[in-house]
Amino acid sequence: MASPFAQVTESLIRHRGVLGAMIVGVDDGMIVESTLQIGVNGNAFAALSASLYRKARRSAAAAGFGATGFLELTAEQGRVCAAGAEELVIIVVCEPRVNVGMVRVELLRAVEQLP
Amino acid sequence: MRLSVVASWVESPLKHFVDDARVEIAVLLHPSGQVMGQYGFARSIDVMSACALASAIHASSSELGRMLEGQPFSALHYTGRDRQVFLGAIPSQSGVLLLLAVFDRESSLGLVQLFLEEFKTRVAAAAPSATAGTPAALAEDFERDLNRNLAQLFGRA
Repeated sequence: MASPFAQVTESLIRHRGVLGAMIVGVDDGMIVESTLQIGVNGNAFAALSASLYRKARRSAAAAGFGATGFLELTAEQGRVCAAGAEELVIIVVCEPRVNVGMVRVELLRAVEQLP
Repeated sequence: MRLSVVASWVESPLKHFVDDARVEIAVLLHPSGQVMGQYGFARSIDVMSACALASAIHASSSELGRMLEGQPFSALHYTGRDRQVFLGAIPSQSGVLLLLAVFDRESSLGLVQLFLEEFKTRVAAAAPSATAGTPAALAEDFERDLNRNLAQLFGRA
């Protein structure tokens, strides 16, 4: 039986340039749901990205900026975008050519579906 | 916090694991309860207690795994209010070892599992074979070996 989150990750990965979408536990870094293209090491990526998101959230809170809305990491050969609720974070792995604006809108829309 | 080891080959894998996974405490031990290296404890009595408990937990969970799945469970994770405990089996050339890790919100289960895989690879590369390394613990030598290892770790050898 498909998890209730499968639809969320499947809709995100349909966008051109998106290599993977995962819903990950913020505190444990474990994958709840994922749709990944071949070549993405899901478990490692989830653990490290969730750690990054946790630290970003703490940094924003420490700076008095409130809740973290959207996190984007731009690397030489790709991008990582993340947005989360209290306990879960949606992480999207993208190629550099991806339409980040579109991913951002879809990601923030998807976050609303999280508990 | 000081990292201390009984055998020199333990130092590098354990140091990498502690640095990467951001754990508060890490102890590598023989399933019999003999410590091989530790980070995070300041007193030998604490290491001794942790090793004895980890050894007992491993024995119980291994037997439970055999009953349920026909083979021992390879890892165990417990979540407390502030801290979490992870106990994993580490295959080495001289047999299975155990890694006990305690971590808080600076780390996560995902990170510990991720860097555990690297730790296993490093241990497999660094550990001597059974013939070249320390012989398996015998019941009659256990207490003597345990005390010797603890003395080495805490600078009383």
